[in-house]
Amino acid sequence: MPLAPTTPDVFKAIAEEHRREILDALMAGEKAVGAIVTDLSMSQPQVSKHLRVLSEVGLVTCRADGRHRLYRLEPEHLRPLRDWLSKYEQAVNDRLDRMDDYLKHVQQQGESQ
Amino acid sequence: MTPHRHGSAVIEFPSALEILTTREFDAPIELVFDVLTKPEHVRQWFAPFDDTMTVCSIDLRVGGAYHFVFVTKDGRECSFRGTYLEIERPTRIVDTWLFEGWPDAEAVETVDLHETDGVTQLKTNLAFRDQAGRDHMTKFDGQEDSWDKMEDYLRSLLDPRPRD
Repeated sequence: MPLAPTTPDVFKAIAEEHRREILDALMAGEKAVGAIVTDLSMSQPQVSKHLRVLSEVGLVTCRADGRHRLYRLEPEHLRPLRDWLSKYEQAVNDRLDRMDDYLKHVQQQGESQ
Repeated sequence: MTPHRHGSAVIEFPSALEILTTREFDAPIELVFDVLTKPEHVRQWFAPFDDTMTVCSIDLRVGGAYHFVFVTKDGRECSFRGTYLEIERPTRIVDTWLFEGWPDAEAVETVDLHETDGVTQLKTNLAFRDQAGRDHMTKFDGQEDSWDKMEDYLRSLLDPRPRD
């Protein structure tokens, strides 16, 4: 079950806590860099740098609105991550389910002796 | 009538370096501890049913080693090994955890067991080493690095082949 080629980049993008804060800030709707700077008390160059990384992996897009550039969240690009996480959860659940079945089997054997 | 617990594991990521799995079993704590730590039991559930367990050795004492190997039906070998750091029967086991082929993904695994009215809760925390401290990297580079490791580990569970 190989991961989608973009997944590692999405991982790196969201592994950084300031970038996660930016994604959170954009959940409410599209915002200009200045508004994100105000919301998160980060410097403008810092926010711009993180927005660039997020844009590269498709998690945010940007459009011009007069003098402003507005950034918006593209949550569907988190899908590879979610799909991969659900496969991991499946693998863990399968192992623990086998252990559960085995525990039942051992206890039933104990009762019949 | 006992509840059906299949698929009920709760998986959380308390930090970028940790994976915490919680699951309950309708069995007494002593039995759950044995099923986790005796090779004759582990052989019966650790590997998927179609796969063959070729190595299952457990030296259950502080400083002792364990090694599990199973071969998937298409011939891939999956090897897990480590050393016991703490053993408190029947409530706690701490060990190192290494999936071979992924030498950087070594973790410390902490297993905590707790029984209430015949139901035993198993909590397994896998804490990956913080590369940041070792390599004097910046805080955020370190975080990214640990996510890479976690991804390697998770990927290894899903698709246990060496990286290209």
